Amino acid sequence: MNKRQKHFMKESKVERLFSALNVFLLLLLAAATLFPFLHVLAQSLSSETAVISGQVGLFPVDPQLGTYQYVMGNSQFTSSFRVSVIITVLGTLGAMVVTTFAAYTLSKPHLPGRNFFLVLFIFAMLFHGGIIPNYLLMRSLGLLDSIWVLILPALVNVFNLLIIKNFFEGTPESLEEAARIDGANTFSILFRIVLPISLPVLATISLFYAVAYWNDFFRAMIYISRPDLKPLQLYLYEIVTQTQRPLTDVPVDSAMNLTPAAVRSATIMATTFPILVVYPFLQKYFVKGIVVGSVKG
Amino acid sequence: MKQSKKRRTFKSGVLNYWQYYVLLFPALALILLFQYVPLYGLQIAFKDFNIFVGIKESPFVGFDHFRRVFNDAYFYKVLGNTLVISFYKLVFLFPLPVILAIQLNEVKNNLLRRSVQTVVYLPHFLSWVIVSGLFVSILGSDGIVNQILSPFMDRPIRFLMDRNWFRSVLVFTEGWKGVGWSAIVYLAAITGIDPQLYEAAIVDGANKFQRIWHITLPGISPTIILLLILNIGSLLEAGFQQILVMYNPMVYSVADIIGTYVYRVGLGQMNFSYGAAVGLFNSVVAFILIITGNQLAKRLAGRSIW
Repeated sequence: MNKRQKHFMKESKVERLFSALNVFLLLLLAAATLFPFLHVLAQSLSSETAVISGQVGLFPVDPQLGTYQYVMGNSQFTSSFRVSVIITVLGTLGAMVVTTFAAYTLSKPHLPGRNFFLVLFIFAMLFHGGIIPNYLLMRSLGLLDSIWVLILPALVNVFNLLIIKNFFEGTPESLEEAARIDGANTFSILFRIVLPISLPVLATISLFYAVAYWNDFFRAMIYISRPDLKPLQLYLYEIVTQTQRPLTDVPVDSAMNLTPAAVRSATIMATTFPILVVYPFLQKYFVKGIVVGSVKG
Repeated sequence: MKQSKKRRTFKSGVLNYWQYYVLLFPALALILLFQYVPLYGLQIAFKDFNIFVGIKESPFVGFDHFRRVFNDAYFYKVLGNTLVISFYKLVFLFPLPVILAIQLNEVKNNLLRRSVQTVVYLPHFLSWVIVSGLFVSILGSDGIVNQILSPFMDRPIRFLMDRNWFRSVLVFTEGWKGVGWSAIVYLAAITGIDPQLYEAAIVDGANKFQRIWHITLPGISPTIILLLILNIGSLLEAGFQQILVMYNPMVYSVADIIGTYVYRVGLGQMNFSYGAAVGLFNSVVAFILIITGNQLAKRLAGRSIW
């Protein structure tokens, strides 16, 4: 007994060392994750001379807001920001309606034709025509250079649909039956009973859709050429790829004492900002929400 | 009385089904239009597609485009790049989320664990354009990484334009963006392990490492196998959007993959039929891989994604 206790004590010392090392490594990882943000944020807030002479580390040097004033005052930036807000709001609302409706139907095991529809959706998730047939379709639909091409094709994400469907399958059937006996129809059951108890998964999937719409640049890259329809990500893409070339290419007003690096940094931060704002509010939901539905047991 | 009630429920049952189909209709129509109609357009891989004539009227040429693809040395180059980049990502990045999940699970302080989780999940929600912008900023020739390295170097490392560095940048940035988020699935799997197993092990005198090795790891191994197989199913993807925003002509020889090749040749140079042929090859192989992977996962881990 004594020997065993001693053994235990000795182990726990090693274990405590392990715990400390573990925490240290995790903090190091968190720091490495935050480092690019903090540095780029600091750059966007620092003065021209500090950026050029490479004095900026994690904190702004000679703080100023001129770079942001320049970026926000740029008419292409404001127009792109507006386009991104419109497609994100309309897209997320539309996607949630369409996806939730379909997920509810597909969560009913006895619905005639359910398996056929499920296979139809899953096959669409696994086999893609590829970008060229898609491009030809949008062209023949007259959707090139239209804001709808940035919204409509992304309204149904099958993966998101399956997560909601799996969640609905886990909700108690007895509640719905009770309401049905009371004479409620399918629509009012969905809105009054099923949706209110599914808020965590709905919040999670809304976040996924909103982020996907906000972040989408590839669709805009192939389908949009009109400057007034370019979303923010495409505008940022053009700035980032331009600065990989010699710095003189960058459209910066030299009279305003701005460096391309600082302008790029400020545009990056302004594009990231909306995500940083919604993220903490929804973060608590998605751990619960996604995991329940994502992998079929 | 009994009969009429039965009839009423049958009638209302049909009515209710009708309402279900109404709910399904919008999503169904969108999927048919945007996912299935393009499959009709795939036939241009077997035709000499002329955009002014249209899909239907373009002349049929059989497997001519596929013959050209498989005789094209550059096609094998991009296929090789695709597989190599995927392989590097798999080898270097696949184990990390498992380790991270176990590490997070060992943290007893809730606030600390939550904070680390919040931080490491975040990059998953950023677009590749933003991630590329961040890393162009810090890895550029006058970026902060080169400033730190400058005492040890003759000249700055051009991480994004150097063939020897570019793939490492791809693997690193993919890890920076995705490892935290990927750990979620394993964390959930760990939560599903019966706590009594740990209690019994503690009573038997098992230390922390033994508990991780003999309880945690076996407990999450079905999840590990499932995700490994799914990863193999996406071998041909290799990170299309990531590469598209980060690569440049100086690193095409090490970074051009099937997806970027289809994009440049098919849309950029308007070789629609040739691009569609490469794309079709890609879609078919990817489909076979994922189906095989799912069957394997069912058999080996008793789990599947659908």
